Formats: sequence, C-alpha cells, structure tokens
Amino acid sequence: MSSAVSNWRRSRVANYLEPLYLILVKNRRGLVGLIILSIPLAMAIAPQLIAPYNPWKTVDKPFLHPSFKHLLGTNDVGQDIFSELVYGARISLFVGFAAAISSVFIGTLIGLFSGYYGGVLDEVLTSFTDVMLLIPVLPFMILLAAVMGQGYVNIIIVISIFAWPGVARLVKAQVMSLKERLYVEAARAIGASNWRIMMNHLLPQLLPLLTAFIVLRIGGAMIAEASLSFLGLGDPTQKSWGTMIYWANNSGAISSGLWWWITAPGLMITVSVLGFTQIGYAIEEYVNPRLRTRA
Amino acid sequence: MASLTYYILRKIISRAIVFFIILSVTFIIPRLLPGGAFAYLVANPNVPLEMRNALIKEFGLDKPLWVQYIQFLKQFFTTGNLGISFSRLKPVSDVIMSALPWTIALVTTSVVLSAIIGILSGAYAAYKRGGKFDSAMVSTIMFIRSMPSFWLGLVLLITFGYYLGIAPLYGAYTYGATYSNVLEFMEDVLGHLWLPMLTLTLLYTTGYFMIMRNNMIDIMGEDFINVAKAKGLPDRAVVFKHALRPASLPVITALALDLGWSIGGALLIEIVFSLPGVGKLLYDAVYMTDYPLLLGIVVYTSALTLTLVTFAEILYAYVDPRVRLR
Repeated sequence: MSSAVSNWRRSRVANYLEPLYLILVKNRRGLVGLIILSIPLAMAIAPQLIAPYNPWKTVDKPFLHPSFKHLLGTNDVGQDIFSELVYGARISLFVGFAAAISSVFIGTLIGLFSGYYGGVLDEVLTSFTDVMLLIPVLPFMILLAAVMGQGYVNIIIVISIFAWPGVARLVKAQVMSLKERLYVEAARAIGASNWRIMMNHLLPQLLPLLTAFIVLRIGGAMIAEASLSFLGLGDPTQKSWGTMIYWANNSGAISSGLWWWITAPGLMITVSVLGFTQIGYAIEEYVNPRLRTRA
Repeated sequence: MASLTYYILRKIISRAIVFFIILSVTFIIPRLLPGGAFAYLVANPNVPLEMRNALIKEFGLDKPLWVQYIQFLKQFFTTGNLGISFSRLKPVSDVIMSALPWTIALVTTSVVLSAIIGILSGAYAAYKRGGKFDSAMVSTIMFIRSMPSFWLGLVLLITFGYYLGIAPLYGAYTYGATYSNVLEFMEDVLGHLWLPMLTLTLLYTTGYFMIMRNNMIDIMGEDFINVAKAKGLPDRAVVFKHALRPASLPVITALALDLGWSIGGALLIEIVFSLPGVGKLLYDAVYMTDYPLLLGIVVYTSALTLTLVTFAEILYAYVDPRVRLR
C-alpha cells in the first residue's frame, strides 16, 4: 500500500519533470535558451556571490575604463559598473516575470469571457481589445507611468495594462473551439455552471499554452521596462539594466566613447530576451507539435 | 465600388469613435488625480498668473465637470487647443505641430523602406528556404528583435557617430547654419537623419521579413503555384511573378496594425538621436512633469496613428476587394 502511494507520487513528480526535461534538455531551442539564461539567472539569484563590489558604494574614481580591477570600469559616481550589472539582473528579470504573468492573467480572463459567452459581451470586449492593439502604446504607458509615479510596482502595472490584448485574442480563439467539444457539452448537460465549466474544464486545457504565452512575453515586458527606465520613469534608488542605460546616456557615455557602459546592460537584456524566446518556442512546440514543421 | 465607399465610411466612423474615447480619457485622467485638474493643468510656478486665469476661464476649470467637458471638446474641435505647456509656455498644439513633421517624415520613410526591403528579402529567403541567406537572415532578425530599440540606436550612434565619425552625435540639422537654398538644407538634414532612419528601418524590417517569409512559404504550397510550375515556368518566375503579389498583401495589414508600435519605436529613436520630433517633446514633458504637453502628445500621436491605420486599411481594401465584405 505504501509502495503504491510512493509509486503514484513518483509518477506525479515525473508528470511534471518529463515535459520540463523534454522542453529544456531534449529540444535544441530550449537547451540553447536554458544555457543563455543561466548567466542572467545566476546574477539574479546570487548577486552577492558574483559581484566584486557593493554597487551602491563609491569604490573608486569616476569614469574609469575597464581593467582587471573593474571589469567594466566605473560610472559617474565611482560605482563599479560590473557589480551594478550583476545586481541589476534581479529587478529586470523580476519586472519581466511579474508583468508577463499579470498581463497573461488579464488577457486570459478577457479572452475566456468573450470567447465563452459570445454575444454583446464578446462584441464589447473584442472591440476594446482591438482598440488597445491599435493605439500608440508607448505614449500611453509613459503618461500612466508619469501620473502614477516612480517605482517598479507601478511599472509592472503599467506594462500589464497595455500588454494583454494579444493574449486575449489568442485565448478567445482557443476557447471558441474548445467550448464546442463534447466533454464541455456533457458537463453542461449534467448541470455544471458557466463558471465551473470555464474554470474546471476550459482553463486547464489552456494552461500549457498559457505557460508558453507567459515565457514568450517576459522578453517584451523586459524591453518595456528598459524603455520606461530609459526615459527616467524607473525607480532612481534601484538598479535595473534600463536605469543603467539611462544614467550612462545622461552622463555623456556616448560623447566620451564609453561604449562598454552602454553596451553591457543592453546586451544583458538582449541575451535574456533571446533566452526566454527560445524556451517559449520550445514550450510551444511541445504543446503544439505541428509547429515543428515550420522554420 | 459602392461597397468600397461603405467600407471606408464604416472605418472612418469607428476610428472617429475610438479617437473620441481617447480624447475623453485624456480629459478624465488629470481630473481623477488627487489635486484635480487645477493642480495638473494650470498650477505651475512657471505659468504667469494672468495666463493661469485665462486658462481657468478658457477651460471652465472653476465650473462643474460636465461644463468643463463641453468646454474641453469645444476648445479642441474649434482651435485644437489642449492647454498651455508648462515648460514652453506655448499652446500645446503649437508645440506638437512644430515637432510632428519630423516624426511623420521619419516614420513614413522608414516604414516604406523597410516594407520594400522586408518583402523582397522575405520572398528571396522563402524561395531559398533553408539556404545560407535564409538562415543568416532568420537568426540576425531573431537577435535584433530581442534588443530594446533605443539600445540598438545607442549602439549604432556610438559606433558610427563617435568611433567612425561619419554621423553627427545629435540633432536633425547643424545648429546655427545658414543655407543658400533648399537643396543645401535637405543635404544637411539627410546627413543627420540617415542613421536614425537606418536604425528604424532595421527594426521595422524584422517584422515585415518574417511575415513575408512565412506567407510565401504557405503560398508556395497552393494549387495555382503548382499549376504555374506544371506549365513549365522557371522557379524564379513562379516566385517573383505569381507568389510575390498575394504573399505581400498581408504585409500591408501588418504594417497598418503595427503602426502604433512603429510610432512608439520612432519616438524612442528620436530621443536617442536628439531629433526635434515628438519623441524629444515626450522626453522633455516627462523630465519637467509637463502634464498638458504629455496629454497633448497622447492625443496627437493617437490621431496620427488612427489616421495612418485607416489610410493603410483603405489602401488594402482597394488592393484586395475581399476585405470589404468583412
């Protein structure tokens, strides 16, 4: 009996580990993504083990060029740029994760409701989604971020408010085909409520796809954070890769040719986005094997 | 043709409604904030007292909300007035109108250039699918799409502007220069704008290339392509005469739907290259917490986007009659 329980447990664990293994190790794109992401993830998890200095402390003369003592030189106030880079990973990745999760959450709810109920509600929600897809998002994000004030929670909220429409559209399409399936009809026949059908029968079917959406949207959210921080809307007391570029640009890094100061944080963003995209594609391929034929 | 007129009318009306909603949102935002419209739109130490009083009267800020709303709409639709910019002490509409031509020029040139490049290179990559050109393009584009747009601009600026010295570090023309004729001015401007245009063209091309390539791959499997092949046409003719045209249509749709994103990217690039366009205004407005200017930029960029999107959709409906029925 106890062995039966432990067997059952093991299979439960295996159920979760197997796709993870197939996506991150067996799939070439997933493996590439995992390898690429290991650097920023390590920085975010244990910055104090990697960074040689406290990034908030003045440790040397300002504007030093790269050397063995300061791998990426020092900034305008004499802080070690490499240490800033290491500590910046946490905020950049966290904002990316949080904004991606909450925008997929909003998009899923809206897509689920408009796809399941249809009719007037669908009309309203769909035209709202279309409008959100059409407007120039950046000025709106900046206006909202400026009104709400500096801080990363506000930036996460601002990004989520404008990043959900794509998700809503895709979820709606999925729900419209799922709700015609027999098992949904069976659930309705035995008297399941709309809420129960949506939450217990439709949502679980969508989960694998939603995971792909979240991972694929982390990159976009990271870029949005960097753009807002580049405009000075980030939190000046915190360090993210975007704020690093903001300070570099405003301290004349371009006109004095300090290319490493500009390049390093941007390269970290690019590499992370690339890594998440690769893993996102690997998840999509796992969820929907037909995609493998393309590209 | 009647259906085309109907289609255009329907599009224009729905876009006008969207614009009206955006206008109302920009009316509501400052009035919802703590301190209200007065604090966000008028009360700034920069603004002289008599101007402040004139503004209060113009927008009826001491009157009930619905009166304010009517005043606001009346001001906008009769004079385009959206208040006074704190930082420049000029009407917001004047400030934006003088910057808008730069942005429009930058966006339209880059969009058109990259659509052409994207369509042609995407078609070629699909034709030689899996070949060297195709895989090089796909991985380069994957890389560019992972970059923050403004960072690509900064990297190109420091490379071409600082290290190679073949592009100016800022501005759209030489400050204080005098020109004997228009041609000289154009030359100066082009000497300044080629790098931001190159940056934007690179950024926009990535999207158009991928759409074009994937469409082309789909279309190459269609029956009419098999027929063209079966009647003995050379591959090149099949691709560039028969498949290119239907495959490039969706690029126009993508172009229209992505305009909001394209304009956002252009604003960031303008900030990087210190061009006198709307992006620069946006940056200044954030820096000086100039709310009237910020709200004005939202209204005017929305108007610009909606106009261009509608224009692109009408163009599409003209080229592809099927969409008129939808």
